[in-house]
Amino acid sequence: MDGELNQNGVALTLELARYFKRWSLWSKDIIILITADSRAGPQAWVDAYHDEHISPYVAPLPIKSGALQGVVVVDNALDHHFESIHIVYDGINGQLPNLDLFNTAVSIASGQLGMRVALQRMWKHDDSYRERLQTMLRGMVRQGLGHSSGPHSSFIPYHVDAITLQAVGEGGQDDMAMGRCIESIFRSLNNLLEHFHQSFFFYLLMQADRFVSIGTYLPSAMLVAVNFTIMAIALWIRSGRPPAPKVATTMREKGSKPDVDIIQKDGMAAIMPKETTTILERQMFVPVSLAVSLHFLGVIPLYMFNHCSFETLPYYFLLFTAVNLVLPTVLAAFIHHQTSLTAQQYLLLHSFSLLLLGMFLATLATLNFSLSLFVGLLSAPLSFIGNSFSGSVEPKDVFPSQRRKIISTVALQLVSPPVVILAVCYFWGTNVGEMLVEAAFGWKVNGLWMQVIIWCVWWPAWLAGSVLVSPAL
Amino acid sequence: MAIDRRKVLLFGSATTLRLLLFFAFPSLPDLLTGRVEISTPVTSFKRLQEGLFLYTHNVSPYDGGVFHQAPLLLSLFALIPSSIFSPLTSLLYIALDLLCVNALIQIAESDEAGSSRLFTSPRRELKWDSVAIGAAYLFNPFTIATCIGRPTSVFTNCAILYAISKAVSGKPMSSILALGLASYLSLYPLLLLPPLILLCYDRQARNKKVTLYISTYSVKYTSMFLGTNVWFLYLSNILTAGSWEFLSSTYGVQLLLPDLTPNMGLWWYFFIEMFDSFREFFLGVFWLHLGGYVGGLCIRVRKQPLFVIITLLGIFAIFKPYPSLSDTSLYFAMLPLYRHVFPLMRYTFFAMATILYATMLGPAFYYLWIYAGSGNANFYYAITLVWNLGLSEIVADSLFAVLRDEWEVERPEMKGKDVRQI
Repeated sequence: MDGELNQNGVALTLELARYFKRWSLWSKDIIILITADSRAGPQAWVDAYHDEHISPYVAPLPIKSGALQGVVVVDNALDHHFESIHIVYDGINGQLPNLDLFNTAVSIASGQLGMRVALQRMWKHDDSYRERLQTMLRGMVRQGLGHSSGPHSSFIPYHVDAITLQAVGEGGQDDMAMGRCIESIFRSLNNLLEHFHQSFFFYLLMQADRFVSIGTYLPSAMLVAVNFTIMAIALWIRSGRPPAPKVATTMREKGSKPDVDIIQKDGMAAIMPKETTTILERQMFVPVSLAVSLHFLGVIPLYMFNHCSFETLPYYFLLFTAVNLVLPTVLAAFIHHQTSLTAQQYLLLHSFSLLLLGMFLATLATLNFSLSLFVGLLSAPLSFIGNSFSGSVEPKDVFPSQRRKIISTVALQLVSPPVVILAVCYFWGTNVGEMLVEAAFGWKVNGLWMQVIIWCVWWPAWLAGSVLVSPAL
Repeated sequence: MAIDRRKVLLFGSATTLRLLLFFAFPSLPDLLTGRVEISTPVTSFKRLQEGLFLYTHNVSPYDGGVFHQAPLLLSLFALIPSSIFSPLTSLLYIALDLLCVNALIQIAESDEAGSSRLFTSPRRELKWDSVAIGAAYLFNPFTIATCIGRPTSVFTNCAILYAISKAVSGKPMSSILALGLASYLSLYPLLLLPPLILLCYDRQARNKKVTLYISTYSVKYTSMFLGTNVWFLYLSNILTAGSWEFLSSTYGVQLLLPDLTPNMGLWWYFFIEMFDSFREFFLGVFWLHLGGYVGGLCIRVRKQPLFVIITLLGIFAIFKPYPSLSDTSLYFAMLPLYRHVFPLMRYTFFAMATILYATMLGPAFYYLWIYAGSGNANFYYAITLVWNLGLSEIVADSLFAVLRDEWEVERPEMKGKDVRQI
């Protein structure tokens, strides 16, 4: 991990192997895996173990010994005594190992051996609200990015619970303590012949011994996702309304009574203008095909960022960012040139785009909560573009005013996917190129689908929103 | 013969799309074939291949308890040389889809949906033309996924569509023959017999071609249907070297549900959870429930037998023992025929959104359950409940719309007003 030679870890593993051989109590095989590369190596091995490897690049692994129960990665690159143990537990795509494995490691390390346990690189955790929040947010960011965070990450998609124990700091703990810790974890795994059952796979850790369970946190992501669906339903209902009656003119004409409906409910009656109770026929072909084709456009950046070479990646990204600035305007002008959208089609396009976004995010929330929450929050402005909260279907109320359009366009450009990616890179002080390479590496090697979410869910929804508020439409 | 240019365009583009999916993404067919939403134990293409292997090696395919499909399919697929098995089957399934659409277009052109013998809808002007209905079927993602996943239920669907299309073109013999094939292949189309006979009768009576009373008429065609089935069974008996083993492992499996592989239906979870002593009773209840709709619908919507068939297809897609996406796609293919009652439906958006949500969440929950191991069977079952809720919403809502349409003809003064139960 971190590009350092895992010298003590390897030495300790070999020593443990010799020690384990003397015991007859293991009810299973213990496989020791030492790889040259800390991320591609374990991935290749675990793929080959499950016969899922891509043939010419990874050699097959003919000798196997049943289903893998658990994986503990030893990482000790220090050449001096260490102070505490840092447990890394994030898997690919935000999947997490069984919480019991984590708890076992924590209670052995801190309870039995008296070592400090750190997580998410929070070296000094004083159990304050602020520290807990920071730990949780760091965990969420890691989960959202979903990239490989250590050798253990590759095992988690195969439903093998895995964690990395990393020795950090300078203190009084020696290899002996680390060895005892690992040996105890192995024995605990030994006791659990049956897989950990009915325990947590969905959690956010705030501290080594505190977590937030799914029942508490999932509603937030679901609410964010559902907001788009609710908006879509509202827009759908609104799109079905006929234009408001011209009350002033019809009243004046003698003899022509306005069409009224008598609505009776619970013994009460109300007279309503006919127009508010009837429903217009909706012209759905244009909005549906627009929304669907915008989503298919997302394949272009996805392909581009995964198939171009390492050197050209940052340039392609900058080019894409520049194109993205003008793309909504161009598309809007093109649509306007082909067919001018009616107020109803405008509402329906907005509705379908939000419906799709809400649907994808709700699904994503069950798979990768953090990513869904972040994408949901960043695309929340899409609900509020246009004159969202008016019930009127007059074209002048449906299409936003020119001033509003410009403000919305600027606001949406600020939260566009490429701009957000650039901002995040700037904030963390990383290079855009590295970030993209990391994502492409994850896509090719680990099967990371964060990019699919960004380019095929978030970006199309953003594009649809930007087209809708573009001054060219 | 005048060739309709739009039709050619439709067939051509649908074929191209399917060929592209089959041959440009070689891993896609296998991926979809393995999906539980597409392949059920009684229609799976993988099981068909297994049965075929045994059959061509002179081992009874019905011995192992894996293969549950009709023997005729075996002899059909055994004709395909194994060297070009995969491309030829792809072409076969594409051809089947086109045949289905051909039948669907014929049904649409007959205008039976707008005006049957006993009822003419005042809204009949509002309809999609037949090519649009065909396009809605061919470009429905469910249909495409089914075609690529190659379940044998496509054969059943095709036979059902032909039975209806022959019925509306006034050819009861071929219609009954087609339905016989459908029910030979997967048993449940048997329940479509009463509305189909009504449809045939109405269609013929309208052209004053029929001289029989309806009771004699139905006896005649029911016996013909039985004869067809007996003939198919006899043929199968010859094909499987004189053994009747196939009966219990094809129809027996449909009736008794020994294979509880998860699917989109409602049966598997119930029967997993159930104590064995109640099993027989609830099998009876479930089948009775499925069959119970036939009589009721035939009587209530007597004026529009085509709609009875459509609604039954929707009900089958929900309540039959091993439903799959192909049943849903068949229902969604037929529903646009009743385009004119769509304005009367009340929950279309809600129901479609539910179905879309379930389409996304279903595979996600299945993944969590089977691959990630972080979910369990309840996740997937919950989502099949949602899916079936969405479908039953559409079935019930379309039924409401058709009844409302009929009612407004009876009582024109109530047009546009709310109905209340008294």
